[in-house]
Amino acid sequence: MATPPARPGISLGRHTVHPQTVAGLLVLLAAAALTMASSRRDPEFGVFAAVGLGFGIVLQRSRFCFNAAFRDLFQFRSGRTMKGVIVGMAVATPGFGLHMFNLLPNPSLGPLAPEAHATPISLALVLGGLLFGTGMVIAGGCVSGSIYRMGEGYLTSWVSFGGILGGLLVAARTWNWWWEHFIRGAPVVWLPRSLGYGGAVTLTLAGLGAAYLLVLWIESRGGGGLQEAVSPDPAVAFAPRVRGLARAVFRQGWPAAAGGTAAGLLNLLSYEAHMPWRVVGELSRWSIGGATLVGLAPGPLRGTEDLAACTLGAGGGVLTHGLLLNAGLFFGSLLAALLAHEFKLRLPRKRVRYIQALGGGLLMGYGGGIALGCTVGAFFSAIPSLAVNGWIFGLALAAGAYIGLRVIERIP
Amino acid sequence: MFVDARGEPCPYPMKQVMEAMDRLPEGEELEVLVDHPPAVDMIRLLATRRGFLMEAEPADSAEWRIRLRRAASREVKP
Repeated sequence: MATPPARPGISLGRHTVHPQTVAGLLVLLAAAALTMASSRRDPEFGVFAAVGLGFGIVLQRSRFCFNAAFRDLFQFRSGRTMKGVIVGMAVATPGFGLHMFNLLPNPSLGPLAPEAHATPISLALVLGGLLFGTGMVIAGGCVSGSIYRMGEGYLTSWVSFGGILGGLLVAARTWNWWWEHFIRGAPVVWLPRSLGYGGAVTLTLAGLGAAYLLVLWIESRGGGGLQEAVSPDPAVAFAPRVRGLARAVFRQGWPAAAGGTAAGLLNLLSYEAHMPWRVVGELSRWSIGGATLVGLAPGPLRGTEDLAACTLGAGGGVLTHGLLLNAGLFFGSLLAALLAHEFKLRLPRKRVRYIQALGGGLLMGYGGGIALGCTVGAFFSAIPSLAVNGWIFGLALAAGAYIGLRVIERIP
Repeated sequence: MFVDARGEPCPYPMKQVMEAMDRLPEGEELEVLVDHPPAVDMIRLLATRRGFLMEAEPADSAEWRIRLRRAASREVKP
């Protein structure tokens, strides 16, 4: 009989504990301590630290990558991830509607519900989506995807992140041109204004249902979809069933629909506490803040105080809701990857991958900057905000992903 | 045939396996090493669609060894 290969580990009496499990538990302790510390500063910050960690865990466990959601439809005719994304938006939509109703009972009067991700529909939105979609496929991950992959140990994602910060700075330095020529005066189409909340929620859910059917059709033409069966557990006794449950939650990947449901609920929790999930607005603060230190400040950005979602900007304190969401995304993914023994420092052998990561990151930063958000703020949080710009940005992302795929087919 | 796709970001592991499946001589086994977690499920989907049998096992922390061979049950109908 063959001897099983020796496994690395730390001995605790008769048991051997995997070093990644130990590291994961240490990160968990640190994350819990930081969440409690932010909560003491402001209870809302505590919620955002926890929600951010939740997003990191969910995205890592369910491989919830918006880039793959769009790209796989074209490349493999697989809708595995896109179906999860659609489920996530459908889960969030009625809750967003109810929350906005509580904030603004009569939506026909003119103003938007506070923090709703409804933004002007202009050429900047469409071009931003195209650039973002192209960039995410070339880089191998969108902005939230790069942050959670940074936690899994992908070096190229760190390079992408640098590119994103650079692209956001270029976007900020050209912002006033976009504002004067396209964004100022462009229409904001927020469905509850004309349809009421009930009509807007119904129409959005119908649209998401139609999108889901379209994904099924694409999969059928490609030869069927992935069967994400949760592995059967034949055990009867309590202890092995608990071990089976722990394995399903911490070691095996989650089905995309489970990840989508969890992400949709976290997004709702985030909005209930303060604002929907968003990523690049906060990153632009880091980018502009860093540029200001070296004398490259973009100067005043016109119109941003009147816009919703991920506006470019600087200022604010060090500790913000956005910082906690983004930091949580990284540390949540790191701890989930460690507990699953999936953390690894991944270094591509081909140098071109680093150039792809940087170039794709720059495109995403610029596109996300002029479009007021990424796959999260301008899409995943915009459609449940009952805003038409979310659908247009989604279509532009799909077209951009198609272009990006044509580009990477030429890069072996 | 052997494909070492470790270190490659998405979607290159899947792309390399797809190309190797096309080139795999009849009767030979394709062995793949990956360290990209989503690749295992995606390769399973591609294998099912293309009539390959697949076995995957953890090879190390965050690494999987995948063995692929064409299903033998494709009988020629008269």
